[in-house]
Amino acid sequence: MENNIENKEMTAQQSLGIITEMMNNSRKSILQDSGKHFILWGVLLIVVSIVNYELWHITGNPAWNCLWFAMPAIGFPVVRILERKNSDVPQSYLNRQIGAIWLAYCIFALTISIIAMLAVPMPITLVIVIAFGFAECISGILLKNWAIIISGFILGVGGAVAAAMLFSAEQLLIFTVGGIILVATGLIVKSQYK
Amino acid sequence: MFPKLDPILHSELRLAVMSILAGVDSAEFSYIKKQTGATSGNLSVQLDKLSAAGYISVEKGFKGKVPCTTCKITQAGLAAFENYVNSLKEYLI
Repeated sequence: MENNIENKEMTAQQSLGIITEMMNNSRKSILQDSGKHFILWGVLLIVVSIVNYELWHITGNPAWNCLWFAMPAIGFPVVRILERKNSDVPQSYLNRQIGAIWLAYCIFALTISIIAMLAVPMPITLVIVIAFGFAECISGILLKNWAIIISGFILGVGGAVAAAMLFSAEQLLIFTVGGIILVATGLIVKSQYK
Repeated sequence: MFPKLDPILHSELRLAVMSILAGVDSAEFSYIKKQTGATSGNLSVQLDKLSAAGYISVEKGFKGKVPCTTCKITQAGLAAFENYVNSLKEYLI
């Protein structure tokens, strides 16, 4: 059917065709648009992890880990600007759930980080990378995409093993890989729903 | 005997609008226009008809400094859409 609908009468078959086509097209537009969020957070994660790694590596001071708090401080305002400026794409149940999963992950990671820094020292990279892989995996399940599910699993399990084997600044490079996986997820989502 | 199809919904553009709105929280006029490929004038007329039937709510506001019309399916609209789809099934079986 051409994407040019007038207010004509139609048969039951045509009605069903319109309903199916409109729902599918709308779903594709919404999910394709959600790809930009994965790309944005992925790029931010790559940049912050590399800058953090370099500063910690050069100075030998782990206090540079405070830079992680710059991620939500930069990321959330940028998301709001992007949503306000460029997009008339609506929210659906699916992209709202994906957003909620990542927001929950972000709150979880920030809270654990603060507790680890101020009160109870713990292997923070290990904890956060497992949760990261899990969030990625769940996103893949919701998007019904095996590549994202498997990359989430590899990130969570591989990241946990790497976190146990690597020390100090080198651990931060796990998050660089995580950022690359997020960008790849965004590109997969964009191409899957083209 | 076949059930009577809701005349408000049994029109291509109105049905297309309802199909889009059934799957989202709300949608802007520009998004619906893009998805349906309808002209602004025709789409406005059909949105008014759906709104008059109580199937959608239309809210006019601003996005920054630009006027923005947002449409949302109502409970009555969702029920009517479900009934319409159920009626269609009887025609097709």
